[in-house]
Amino acid sequence: MYVYDTIDKSLLNQRVAEFRDQVRRRLDGELTEDQFKPLRLMNGLYLQLHAYMLRVAIPYGALSSDQMRKLAYIAETYDRGYGHFTTRQNIQYNWIELSTAPDLLFDLSEIDLHAIQTSGNCIRNVTADPYAGAAADEVDDARVWSEIIRQWSTFHPEFSYLPRKFKFAVTGADADRAAIKFHDIGLKIIRSDTGELGFEVYVGGGQGRTPIVAPLINSFLPAKDLLRYLDAVLRIYNLHGRRDNIYKARIKILVKSLGVDSFTSQVDAEFERLDPALFVVEADEINRIRDMFSVPYLQADEDVKARLEERIEESPQMRRWSDSNTHAHKTPGYAIVTISLKPIGGIPGDATAEQMYAIADLADRFSLGEVRVTYTQNLVLPHVHQADLFVLWSELKRLDLATPNIGLATDIIACPGLDYCSLANARSIPISQRISERFSDLESQHDIGPLDIRISGCINACGHHHAGHIGILGVDKRGEERYQLTLGGQGNGESAVGKIVGPGFDEDGIVDAVETVISTYLSVRSTGELFSQTLERTGHAPFKERLYDSN
Amino acid sequence: MTVINIRGENVDQTWRDVEVAEKTRSLDSVILSFASLKEHIETLDQKSLSRIGVRLTVNDEIGEIADHARHIGLIDLVFPNFKDGRPFSTAVTVRRDYGFSGDLRASGDILPDQALFLARCGFSTIVVPVQFPVKQFKTSLGAYTIAYQAAVDSNVSQVRDLRRSAVEVVAE
Repeated sequence: MYVYDTIDKSLLNQRVAEFRDQVRRRLDGELTEDQFKPLRLMNGLYLQLHAYMLRVAIPYGALSSDQMRKLAYIAETYDRGYGHFTTRQNIQYNWIELSTAPDLLFDLSEIDLHAIQTSGNCIRNVTADPYAGAAADEVDDARVWSEIIRQWSTFHPEFSYLPRKFKFAVTGADADRAAIKFHDIGLKIIRSDTGELGFEVYVGGGQGRTPIVAPLINSFLPAKDLLRYLDAVLRIYNLHGRRDNIYKARIKILVKSLGVDSFTSQVDAEFERLDPALFVVEADEINRIRDMFSVPYLQADEDVKARLEERIEESPQMRRWSDSNTHAHKTPGYAIVTISLKPIGGIPGDATAEQMYAIADLADRFSLGEVRVTYTQNLVLPHVHQADLFVLWSELKRLDLATPNIGLATDIIACPGLDYCSLANARSIPISQRISERFSDLESQHDIGPLDIRISGCINACGHHHAGHIGILGVDKRGEERYQLTLGGQGNGESAVGKIVGPGFDEDGIVDAVETVISTYLSVRSTGELFSQTLERTGHAPFKERLYDSN
Repeated sequence: MTVINIRGENVDQTWRDVEVAEKTRSLDSVILSFASLKEHIETLDQKSLSRIGVRLTVNDEIGEIADHARHIGLIDLVFPNFKDGRPFSTAVTVRRDYGFSGDLRASGDILPDQALFLARCGFSTIVVPVQFPVKQFKTSLGAYTIAYQAAVDSNVSQVRDLRRSAVEVVAE
């Protein structure tokens, strides 16, 4: 884990002091709400329907067990005993008082946590592959480069008042578990033919009103040029991104209107004008960061698998969980375990303070004190010895954290929706809860196979509905909540934007519609064909027919 | 009107706002609009240009007077709205691309909390909006003593340098 040195710490302390002063000025009336708003937003503080919401940054989704304990402490001290893990690998607290927010941030700072740039038109928290450092398929640890970007983008004097928010995602693995092409900048770490480390750079992806899969603008950016290149992209965007219309202000619109070639050549020209010396990250510094992420040497254990199999034979329940909630680790004998925050009928991404404390303890016992947050709103224990899986599973089950549904129909992504969010048009959480209950039968979930259902309560698409195999978008139709259905999106591994199937549904209708889509798939799929493959083969037609025929 | 430098000290106001050159008899220590400066720029030698300032809105393109930019005495970049961050980037490019070493001034709708960022992007003076106490700008300029990024100013220490010297101390 990256641990702040005294320099990082002083900077964070200065931020806490600055924010305390900003809140004081607001409470004393020295700042108007309009003036205070961008300042509080850059500290992750939103004014929502019922109270202030605070979004705490979890850089690249990586937490130490002590940081998890602090998040639990915050939930019970400043909130109502729970927190909500988000699709940006952050955590949100929904019931915060403005007057105590500075104390909360001070508490967080004691353990290197903060809410810096978790909102506002600035460079947001960098997200990354939640399996970084543990996955068998990785070229390099995405956290190292994410941390370098975090430092460069923190309090950036030039890029803190951009036309609109700006999101980075980084993966160091072949499989994209960070949805990098749905970000303003997506980086994939690769090696050139000569073995040099570098990046594929994707710019101008995003969801919201205009969903776009980011085009590749640089097929090999040498790692040494990373910050210099990012600086060039951001400057072109800051100077030329639209500011007249909030819906056209993201970099994706600029890239689209200029065209990829023209945008890229402007970036290249700006890159050439920049002095490399200003952006160099020395080998010592890269090594300093890398060392902090390295874990103790893990002894490969080739035999444990067989012993585990024996144990699993005795428990079909355990087998199911092991099949869906564990993933190959780079060291034989170890596993990456996903803790499901999607209990049947629960609120996706929510965790109670008790659960967070318990997860921190399990991380210490079984995972070298590390926890990760996924953008699909689950948690990960990245380094678990397979000999410990049975005990871990039993403990998680006791905590209601062992639902064996990762990647399946009830592993639903949902934004907070109209239950909390002032931007929402419709509720998301109750819809996800009803779908989850409808498909609660584990046997049938495993039979259906990998399926991403994603729900957003408005077109801002925080629930990533564009990228769901089945996407649901809440809209307001003459004062009534309606739900549009999209099919064919992809956000895991591949990236694709789903298409609307037909007219929308009401609250009951959308749950039935999802069931109809799934039963259609089950009846038309070929043997071994996944939902996304069937859809690609058949198109919308058979689904549309079954959905709208009876009407 | 209060103008401060990036150390938060008041600066004597010698510059007069005249907008268009025709409004004044002497083109000494005046700030012109970009349109007016462009109109007269070919008739001005380097010395007179150094006594002239120009005010740029976010829609003005300084590249149009690229050859003369570095001789101008003062360049004033106007923030139309504190949320519009273009002048931050313009400041960086004016210093870098045109070798401008004169007074780079920020004016318009600015929050005190942006003062240090202004300094770090190369601005040398700030016109304090009337609704804010000058004191608040001074506080903001001193809110941080270190920064992660390299920048053109020396208001803060760079993390990179601090880490390097920490390593050297350990090595000794």
